[in-house]
Amino acid sequence: CTSRNEKVLFLAHNLPETHPVHKGIQFFQSELSKLSSGTLEVHIFPNSQLGSEREALELLQIGTIAITKVSSAVMANFSPEYKVLGVPYLFRDKQHFFDVLEGEVGQQMLDGSSDYLLRGLCFYDAGSRSFYTKKPVRVPADLEGLKIRVMNHQLSIDMVNNFGGSATPMASGELYTALQQGVVDGAENNAPTFVSSNQFEVCKYFTLDEHTSIPDVMVISTKFWDTLSDQEKKWVTQAAKASAQAQKKYWEESVTACMEILEENQVEVIRPDKTLFYEKSIPLIEEFAKDKDMKIIIDKIKSY
Amino acid sequence: MEVEIAGILFLFVSFFGLLALGVPVVYGIGISTTCTLLLSVSGMPALTTVAQRMTTGIDSFSLLAIPFFVLAGELMKQGGIANRLINLAYALLGRLPGGMAFVNVLSAMMFGAVSGSAVAAASAIGGIMTDRMEDEGYPRAFSASVNITASTTGLLIPPSNVLIIYALASGGTASVASLFLAGYVPGFLVGFALILTAAFQVHRKKLPKGEKVGFAKTLTYLKESFFSLMLLVVVVGGIVAGIFTATEAAAIAVLYAGILAFIYKTVTVKDLPSIILNSGKTTALVMAVICTSMAMSWLFSFQSIPQFISSLLIDNLTNPIVIILIINLTLLIVGTFMDMSPAILIFTPIFLPVVTSLGMDPVHFGMVLVLNLCIGLCTPPVGTILFVGSGVAKVSVSSVIKPLIPFLVTMIVVLLLVTYIPQISLWLPGLFGM
Amino acid sequence: MILLGKAYQTINRVLEKFMVIIFSLLIVDVLAQVFSRYLLSYSPSFTEEFARFSLIWLSLLGMAYLTGQREHLTMDYVYQKFSEQNKKKATIFIESIIILFATVVMLIGGGNLVYITLDLGQLSSALQIPLGYVYMVVPVSGLLIVFYSIHNISKVS
Ligand code: NA
Ligand code: NA
Repeated sequence: CTSRNEKVLFLAHNLPETHPVHKGIQFFQSELSKLSSGTLEVHIFPNSQLGSEREALELLQIGTIAITKVSSAVMANFSPEYKVLGVPYLFRDKQHFFDVLEGEVGQQMLDGSSDYLLRGLCFYDAGSRSFYTKKPVRVPADLEGLKIRVMNHQLSIDMVNNFGGSATPMASGELYTALQQGVVDGAENNAPTFVSSNQFEVCKYFTLDEHTSIPDVMVISTKFWDTLSDQEKKWVTQAAKASAQAQKKYWEESVTACMEILEENQVEVIRPDKTLFYEKSIPLIEEFAKDKDMKIIIDKIKSY
Repeated sequence: MEVEIAGILFLFVSFFGLLALGVPVVYGIGISTTCTLLLSVSGMPALTTVAQRMTTGIDSFSLLAIPFFVLAGELMKQGGIANRLINLAYALLGRLPGGMAFVNVLSAMMFGAVSGSAVAAASAIGGIMTDRMEDEGYPRAFSASVNITASTTGLLIPPSNVLIIYALASGGTASVASLFLAGYVPGFLVGFALILTAAFQVHRKKLPKGEKVGFAKTLTYLKESFFSLMLLVVVVGGIVAGIFTATEAAAIAVLYAGILAFIYKTVTVKDLPSIILNSGKTTALVMAVICTSMAMSWLFSFQSIPQFISSLLIDNLTNPIVIILIINLTLLIVGTFMDMSPAILIFTPIFLPVVTSLGMDPVHFGMVLVLNLCIGLCTPPVGTILFVGSGVAKVSVSSVIKPLIPFLVTMIVVLLLVTYIPQISLWLPGLFGM
Repeated sequence: MILLGKAYQTINRVLEKFMVIIFSLLIVDVLAQVFSRYLLSYSPSFTEEFARFSLIWLSLLGMAYLTGQREHLTMDYVYQKFSEQNKKKATIFIESIIILFATVVMLIGGGNLVYITLDLGQLSSALQIPLGYVYMVVPVSGLLIVFYSIHNISKVS
């Protein structure tokens, strides 16, 4: 039962409850409850219970739920600035990645999506995406002739095709069986997803080329945001920023644990020369930078 | 908690009230969902959410298998494939005492298996078989009851649309490919049990046997139906060999059935638009119900109804065997008055979390659910196959009820076996490492 | 009344053609996806999305069409026991309920959904078309259902 002064924020996301990003969200939940002395409570719906990432963002725009967590790749179809984050080898290293997202560029993106009724609260680390395959991939040439499942999203398709693979967009629900039966020969994702989807049972090679680092982003509906008092807004922002800091640690722990699981399951972890992959993606990056707005953001990111 | 109970009560009372008054199922689900959502979410967002769920709920590549298998089945029905399968079944089983009843079961099984549709099997086989069996001295109502129950086996033997719907409703925890492999053993088990039941009946009633078919003739029949049966091999073989996904296999089935019908010269290009339109109508009939059901199942999640029912069952009962028995009984009752696809869509999200928490495999539960609801397809007051089967046999529904009873009892016995022996469902997928 | 009947015939014919075309495109699209992957080892990004969106259109237009044919699944065992007079009344009630749903949820709710998605410019991930075009089928189908239900009422009264 809800008391008169209590507001409940419905938060939907697509991850299982064991996922490090879910733990970050739980931190947000308890932090917000603490800051607001229990007047702002978060009700979490995990596991895509209320729909896919795209559908959850629409529910924010419609005004049915308050908060969601999505990949920046999905966010890009709503707020174009986020497209930049899908560019391969955009960040020099992890520190550069955090500096950008916690700096002016990141804040600009979070605020910018308010035009689409979606106000960004914070970024969560979703690591780097790498290839996992049924045959070893040590240099880009090894990708030749391999059908690699990608997200249904042009930049990912072009990237894999540029590396020399044959990009095959496919729904994630069909992927496990498709890998097992050989409809596709591999896929690309971060370590926690590779492990939680059990696809390591079928793919025995994990090539850490770390081609993209696409963060997750927590978003609040502006329709809901506008009903909050200034004090409540401050609490929400503060709790979100704190949860982003805490989540970095959860992510690192999860990656370490996942790499151990991969090792136990005889998955060969390959650490390739990343510059070979980077060189293959230069034409794609140049093509992308032809868009003036995107070039401005890319230059800003590079200047950090 | 009071909020949930009020919500559930309102939802189900309004839903069944509307259905009883004759409101089509698709609208009954839609209206009760909208009204219930309006109790907790304000006007415009609630209405927009229902509209959104109606489209995003069916925005799934896996569901494409439904129109394709429907069309493949329609092409086979128009393509005269039923007669070829009946001839083959006759050659194999016709000369046994009561053999015509076995021929009926086997033909319905084979046609149901390749077409993936119980309605298609009941209508394509039932009409021909009742006439042939009457010539040999079988009562029409008896033939109809054999045909009605046997037609449902095609829903377990792949390809099968209802298994695809179940895969969707399970939220991807059961893959179409493993469900397809799992369906063979329970499907054949039901068919075999029905043949035994028919044999027992025939023996008691001293029904006649058919003529012996020579080896050469048998070979001809086998040749004639060979390519029809090969569809099963192409579809499931293609999936297992990794040539295409389960969804793409459905499109291949259309191509295959189309080519077969053209070779047999039973379908011409001019017939295609009407065949496609017919399949489009059948597709829409199923998909429309899925549209509003997906809105309803979203509402379940939004109001945490599955968690509520699950805790209700698990907190009050400790014995998993009893819990699963209660779920089975509930579904048997549901099946008497509800059609299969809405029942799958509405009850999977409610019961699946309960049974998985008891350690049941989602693929195994899919078999239990579908077999359970197959029984419901043959029972009044709402039994699609009962109506179709009686219709094509030109007998009244009430006259079929009595001869139907032994066959339904048999199905319930098989249901209990499938429920409590997981290996029946999981052995074959396990063999292929799924 | 004659006008209503004529409109009914025309709309049926157009809708039937439309459904056949969408269904045919669906088959060609998915077969092309399989063959291009194997023969050209190339997977286009748009075939999957096109198929999904076509299925949405086929299903919702089909939902309207079946309302016009009065062929939706029903559980009419109570209805069948009514007298002729009461059957008429029940039909009017049923069709009115359908009009209410089609208007409130599909026209108003669906219209708002289209407005939001077009106004905020959400694009589909592969085809990069505005998602509002996909959702457009909800109000369109809602409008057709209202028309068909009015036609169904006019036939009993
Ligand atoms: Na089948
Ligand atoms: Na029934």
